[in-house]
Amino acid sequence: MEENIKFLRSGILAPIKKWGTHWSLWPVHLVTACCGAELAHAFASGYDGERIGALNYGIARQTNLIIVEGAITRKMARVLRITWEQMPDPKFVIIMGTCGLNGGVFWNSYHLVKPFEVVPVNYFIPGCPSTPEALLRGIRQLQNEIRTGEPRSSIEFEKVDLGKGKMMPVTPKSPKKISLAPSIVVNVPRKADEETKKLADEISKLGLATTVTGKNRIALRVEKDELVDAAKKLQNFGFDHVKNVNVIDVPNEDKFIVEYHLGSYSKRELMPVVLNLFTELPRSEPKLKSLAKIFPSADYMEREMHDFFGVVFEGNEWMGRKFLLAPDTPEYPLKKDFKLEEEKYLR
Amino acid sequence: MEALVISHQKQIGDKMLEGLISGLFKIFTSNMMNIPLIEPLVDYLMQIPLVNLLVALILWRPFFAVIILPGLVGLLIYLLWIVYWERKLTARVQWRVGPIEVARPIRGAIQALADGIRYFFQEAIIHREAHKIYYIQLPILAFIPILLPLLFIPAGNVVGIKTPYGIQLIVAFIALIPLFIVAMGWASHSRFAYIGSLREAFMYFAYEIPFIIAVVAMIYVYGSGDPYVAVEKQNIPGAVLNPLAFIVYIIAMIMATSRLPFEIPEADQEIAFGPFVEYSGILFGLVMTLLYEKLYLMALLFVILFLGGWEGFYVGILGDFCAPLVLFIKTVVVISVLVIVRSVYARYRLDQAIRLGWTSYLTLSIAALILGMFVGVLV
Repeated sequence: MEENIKFLRSGILAPIKKWGTHWSLWPVHLVTACCGAELAHAFASGYDGERIGALNYGIARQTNLIIVEGAITRKMARVLRITWEQMPDPKFVIIMGTCGLNGGVFWNSYHLVKPFEVVPVNYFIPGCPSTPEALLRGIRQLQNEIRTGEPRSSIEFEKVDLGKGKMMPVTPKSPKKISLAPSIVVNVPRKADEETKKLADEISKLGLATTVTGKNRIALRVEKDELVDAAKKLQNFGFDHVKNVNVIDVPNEDKFIVEYHLGSYSKRELMPVVLNLFTELPRSEPKLKSLAKIFPSADYMEREMHDFFGVVFEGNEWMGRKFLLAPDTPEYPLKKDFKLEEEKYLR
Repeated sequence: MEALVISHQKQIGDKMLEGLISGLFKIFTSNMMNIPLIEPLVDYLMQIPLVNLLVALILWRPFFAVIILPGLVGLLIYLLWIVYWERKLTARVQWRVGPIEVARPIRGAIQALADGIRYFFQEAIIHREAHKIYYIQLPILAFIPILLPLLFIPAGNVVGIKTPYGIQLIVAFIALIPLFIVAMGWASHSRFAYIGSLREAFMYFAYEIPFIIAVVAMIYVYGSGDPYVAVEKQNIPGAVLNPLAFIVYIIAMIMATSRLPFEIPEADQEIAFGPFVEYSGILFGLVMTLLYEKLYLMALLFVILFLGGWEGFYVGILGDFCAPLVLFIKTVVVISVLVIVRSVYARYRLDQAIRLGWTSYLTLSIAALILGMFVGVLV
């Protein structure tokens, strides 16, 4: 078997094989971000990538080149690996855009992986997004590599001497500290029209302290033990669903703010209103009774907040495991004291 | 003593071989192509022993029909041409130039060759779930119904097997091809392949019945299933004699070879090439060309039935070679016009295509049959 492969790579037929592969690089493209639009441009009538024999093909089994367009998340890495393994040898990988190179705008983010750790990469195409010319140049470079056998960059950048004065005076020091952010107040009273005020008064009659925070916006603060009672009262009042569940991490005050935005589809005068039902939790013991039984639409969003912040919604069945994040994501990535990978400054 | 026996046996063996060669030579030379253009060359080569056997074999009419033209070599040339032409045509429709850089002086005409070589040298993956034996042998077995009709397709004097039931036999063998495609999908043992096989089976019933009825209508018109009779009677082309059958046949050609308005079993954007999804390397190269080959066969029959077959120009210097050439050129022109449907039409849904096949299309074919009966009485 080894001998046969060696014969294929350097035997008497190798030049023919190289010629065929050279002119027939069919890219299967894995679009994860905006670079896909640039790839479409590169193969449309303006630039026409088919000129150089590259035909876009949807199926990995029958192609020999994969173009990864955009950031690869932890979940997507698996897909990339499977797609790459499906392809028959000889196969090549081109990574397009800055996101695949070093993360781009998602640099040092908890959910990204580096594509070159997942698959062996032949060429990187820089740019955010890369231009069609750059992509076609990348394919040409790959053709050159197949023909001559040696990979090389298609461009050499001029080296610029940064003088002493341009040095950054102080590089950021590690470990980084959490800044003492100004305290976050959710229920700042603001001016509003009469109807909203009237509605807020009506809700206040239920025994709940409301604040009007804008036109059709009402905030309502409760203690964490009273949350379920308050939700039941509001349900009887006419609110029938949760639009959004939100958690705000305030580490310098040692608390989480948990918000439920309630709305109504069934009662006409409540339809434009968004009611912010919020409570505060200590960071050391972030436990709360779930509202998923009362408002079923809160279920998934509570799971997601559990993924991100580690707030335990007691009564929700999904607590303690990952819902939307990949299983190997580090725990509670949106907490403010989450430790990111330390970056290194060269100078 | 032993040496004597061996030499004696050797003599017998030599005699038998000589007899075989001379016998074969006699068979080949009795039915040879007569091409005045290369006659001096042939005469010179015939004087060399053994080479003359090879030359006689190549110019033996049945061999020439099946292997050279309109048989295998013609098929190969046609494949290289049509894949390139289809890509180029689609590119022009979309305001692009299409493959060109591979060979600039000839506008990239060898692009299909490069793709073929790439497929030939690529790894052929056999995935774990496949029924290994069937999976490997079916793409190769599928050549049986491709090659068998070539035996019965005549071109003037050049014909593999001469029979009065030629047209029926060609149709019968063409009808076998979808079985192999369905079997490929089954052997691949994958979801997309399963859906693709199912669609192929549905489509098979949608087009095959009207297609056969259209051919039967033309057999009524000519009063015989003999391709020679069909071509002889076409003083007026068959397309004018029975235009309904002509239309039905064209639609059948598009449907049977999964051209775009009916590209339902393969639908690469939906089910990733359906029955062929798991094939890679040389095996995919074989199955991808399968439908092009089917198109070639159906177009050959189309030319014989509707466009006057090999009757066209006659160049005296080409002799017997003229008829296959005319047939081949007509076929390639027909297909080259037909492939434009790929770049101008959208895809039908499966249920729409089947509804079309079983209602208006079937009705049209029956009307063609009735018209064929009347015309058959008149002609």
